[in-house]
Amino acid sequence: MGMVQKIEEKLREAFDPTELSVVDDSESHRGHAGYQDGGESHFQVVIEAPAFKDMSRIERHRAVHRALGPDVISRIHALGLTIR
Amino acid sequence: MTAHDQIQSTITDNDVVLFMKGTKTMPQCGFSSRVAGVLNYMGVDFADVNVLADDALRQGIKDFSEWPTIPQLYVKGEFIGGCDIVTEMTLSGELDKLLEDSGVGFDKEAADKIREANG
Repeated sequence: MGMVQKIEEKLREAFDPTELSVVDDSESHRGHAGYQDGGESHFQVVIEAPAFKDMSRIERHRAVHRALGPDVISRIHALGLTIR
Repeated sequence: MTAHDQIQSTITDNDVVLFMKGTKTMPQCGFSSRVAGVLNYMGVDFADVNVLADDALRQGIKDFSEWPTIPQLYVKGEFIGGCDIVTEMTLSGELDKLLEDSGVGFDKEAADKIREANG
């Protein structure tokens, strides 16, 4: 399974989001620090879910980090998060 | 001194600290560059800590805040967030309020200009 699908699956499972988009934008970072051949290094995630409603910004990010788990987090270089 | 003690004393001794890849004048990563750029532009007096210069610190700061990414911004000893959070707070005006409430000087007009340019 590709990393995009893996991230999507974990987030769907954890938050039952009303909106979710996961984009691998590694190519736009080609040549920068953290770029790895084959991409799957830089991701942009937009997620909207009722679960985030009463959380602070930091709590929302922490919840997403937890849902993805150390395995995913340690394998990617950058994760842009827009959480609503 | 352990990395933990070093971090604790840095964020105690300085009102605003950015743990980043590279330095405020020569950032080594786009995300660090963006946060340092906002603070520089807003005229915030901040201490920059280059985690690339010290492996113990690079891991230590992630353990300290239980936050997996860099950059990390601290104001008055408190962890504020990384690039996404600081960007959102800049555009919403929350960063202005946080700095005001913390007694940290900054250029309000410059902050407004950032918002106008990204509105």
